[in-house]
Amino acid sequence: MTQWERLLSTAVVGTGRRNVPADVLGGLAEVDADGPEETVLAAAAVLGAYRRAGWTPSRWREPLPEPSGVDERPVCSDAAAQVLELLLSRDIRVDGGNELLVAHWLRTCAGADRRPPAHLLVELLRLATTTTALREDVRTVTGPRGAWLARHNPRWAWAAPVDTADAAARFATGTRTERLSILIAVRRADPAAGRRLVEDTWDTEQAATRAGLVDALAVGLSDADEPFLESSLDDRAATVRAAAAALLDRLPHSRRAARMAERVRDLTPPDELDAAARRDGISDQREHGHGRRESWLIQLLGAAPLGDVPTDLASAGSALLVGWTRAALRQRNEDWLAALARVRPTPELLGALPPEKATAIVAVESTVDARFAGLLAACPGPWPAKFSRDVVGRLRKARTEGALTLAFGALAEHLHHSALPAVEDWIEATPIDKRARRRTLRGLAHALTIRSTIEQEF
Amino acid sequence: MGARWTVARVLGLAPDAGSARAARALARPGTWSDLGSTESLVWGKCQGSAREPYQVTVDLNEPAFRCTCPSRKFPCKHGLALLLLWAAGGGAVADLDTTADFAADWARGRQTRREPSGEPDPEARARRVAERESLMSAGLDEFERWLFDLVRQGLAGVRAQPARYWETAAARLVDAQLPGLAERVRSMGAAVHARDDWAPYLLTQLGRWYLAVRAWRGRATLPAATMGDLRAVLGWSRRSEEVLAGERLRDRWWVLGLRQDEDERLLSQRTWLYGEESGETVVLLDFAAAGNALRVPHVLGSVLDGELALYPGSPPRRVLLAGEPSTGTGDGLPVTDTIERALDLAATWQAGNPWLSRIPMSLGAVTVVPGDDGDVLVDRDGTALRLAAEADVWSLLALSGGHPVDVFGEWIDRRLYPCSVAVDGRLVSL
Repeated sequence: MTQWERLLSTAVVGTGRRNVPADVLGGLAEVDADGPEETVLAAAAVLGAYRRAGWTPSRWREPLPEPSGVDERPVCSDAAAQVLELLLSRDIRVDGGNELLVAHWLRTCAGADRRPPAHLLVELLRLATTTTALREDVRTVTGPRGAWLARHNPRWAWAAPVDTADAAARFATGTRTERLSILIAVRRADPAAGRRLVEDTWDTEQAATRAGLVDALAVGLSDADEPFLESSLDDRAATVRAAAAALLDRLPHSRRAARMAERVRDLTPPDELDAAARRDGISDQREHGHGRRESWLIQLLGAAPLGDVPTDLASAGSALLVGWTRAALRQRNEDWLAALARVRPTPELLGALPPEKATAIVAVESTVDARFAGLLAACPGPWPAKFSRDVVGRLRKARTEGALTLAFGALAEHLHHSALPAVEDWIEATPIDKRARRRTLRGLAHALTIRSTIEQEF
Repeated sequence: MGARWTVARVLGLAPDAGSARAARALARPGTWSDLGSTESLVWGKCQGSAREPYQVTVDLNEPAFRCTCPSRKFPCKHGLALLLLWAAGGGAVADLDTTADFAADWARGRQTRREPSGEPDPEARARRVAERESLMSAGLDEFERWLFDLVRQGLAGVRAQPARYWETAAARLVDAQLPGLAERVRSMGAAVHARDDWAPYLLTQLGRWYLAVRAWRGRATLPAATMGDLRAVLGWSRRSEEVLAGERLRDRWWVLGLRQDEDERLLSQRTWLYGEESGETVVLLDFAAAGNALRVPHVLGSVLDGELALYPGSPPRRVLLAGEPSTGTGDGLPVTDTIERALDLAATWQAGNPWLSRIPMSLGAVTVVPGDDGDVLVDRDGTALRLAAEADVWSLLALSGGHPVDVFGEWIDRRLYPCSVAVDGRLVSL
């Protein structure tokens, strides 16, 4: 026992119950003390200082962890970093949420092939841990340093790259969630290798797992997956068959698509469903507002390859339009999407179109109402300059208060910065007592200003 | 600085019994803000019936009162209530180095009217200092008895005591004008429960407190530096004019690190500086009452070319800015040590000042190693230093990327609290 330990044990019990050890300082110092309490306190002063000053650190014997890989991208400008920092710390606040502008910052940064300064990485990872919509952008922008950090912190596992090196072994033994994330990572890098992983263990998997694995093949889906998916249409489990059919819906060159094309050749609802059609995933499920046979037709059309857009599309019946819309969305067929949107625009169709096409369709809508706001909100950005200015003008002339509020998020996110004077002009012209409207407009002007700052700083 | 007055002495100033009664009712910390005191001034803002709180200042020398309330009584109930709060101790009215603007303005106005004599009566001043010293001596005698009693009971028994045990002792120390010691005792009430190593920690601190008692008794023979250290422990602050009139050091001062702390009463800011020529590491301390703003901090990584006034004490010394320095830009940390060398320096400083507990360290090329049971910094020699659990290890990792970096931090109680890290020749705050 050291002198200090002996002193401590006396002190813990108290000098009322235990005698002070003799020679408590072991010759370290002469202490002038009368009673036992004085001795303990004086010894504590001397030994305490002795221990503090004489403390020695430990040695590190394990290997140091591998440092992060190099990010070749240059760091963004100080001004750009400062905007991001203010958005993250919420020292500037934007109506509709700062996340919107953070997303804009991240995409602009990625587009300029820059990276944020290292001191903002932690905040970005934290934010995207809760705001999952930002994850993809954060992963891109934070690059190798972000991935390296995420490997050290389980809470940021979503940002950690999955090691595909020993994927097969880990895929065979991992938990269900681990296996899915390994599969998705492998599919991103090498879709064929991912499919082989699934095929290798396929016969021993449980039905629920099989359905999940098929779903995961959506990442990196191509015609090469067709044979596997076609065979899965014969699976014992209905969930697996449905999952396979859902993926085949997106492959217009599949054998199943060819069978569907055959079934819808004359665009009339079938009288009966044969066993082969049921194997292909057509069910008796009713489509909203349609009878039994029309519902079959809609399902068949939705899975059949799309030909040329008919010139008389506008006069087609409702079942045909619903079916084609479904097929166009699944096959991402831009001609069809645009043609259908011109006939009957819906947020879903507009959202699948590139910005110029979507905005061109909204631009010819005649009335500015809640429906218009819904379509506007679905238009992907960035919006063209003229369209942006026109939209602000039309919203201003509209009678309804609601349209501006409904479309606010999209306006803040996509409006071209040249529309800013129009917004400011509108604020000027809005009476003071219209507080809610003024507030909304100021929020919009604020968001536009920050967005144009972001663009300038890259 | 003089001793605080007794309640009776304050009430003796009341113009009538009604004012005394009203003042007693007002002497509650809740109705006050921006409270503070120096050697000669006590000030605070009192929320009355008007929209803006009344600004109340008392010059203790005469005494003279000033209040923005419309009352025609003199002194008004606000001035009396402020003095009652101050006299009661209890920490509501803290001893501060800097005076609130409204109080300072008034005092300056009075001063110019009273000029040119300037300096207050030296005899009165010597009397106040003597009063304070005797109050402190009595307080330390009582504190010594409390320490003896504690050691007799045993640390284990003391740990079972309620929080009141520590608070009462701390309040007595405040009454005896020993606010520094009081703060240490008060915070021990939580530490004995929060820390795994509470017993050795408490024993070490008891030793340091007792050392302060013994040192006070021998103050006549103490070297000036040690007396400075002792005054800092006890909480007997110095007027800035006194410090500015003392030792000065001109250098190019690199701003190594900034740290802010906050408790319910006080905001504090430490700015660590390194002198290029002198090789001295010094610290600027700023305080503000809770809710007020601190002085705008110096920019981390900048270099201040100018003169500092040094507080009496052992290194690393506390300083004041003497005049406006010119500001330049540095690149990272001017000098760094290995962990071993930083600890050697720490030992030298601790040998000079046994109460020293916050030690600045500039560590060169350390790798941050995160771990499940604590994070460490490892230097090129393979020496490891524990990071404090509160340290933001993720920012440190993000900034270093696992590569060796230079880190400046405060080493407290065998744990490093990193303040800044040098990345690409630039200091970044943590």
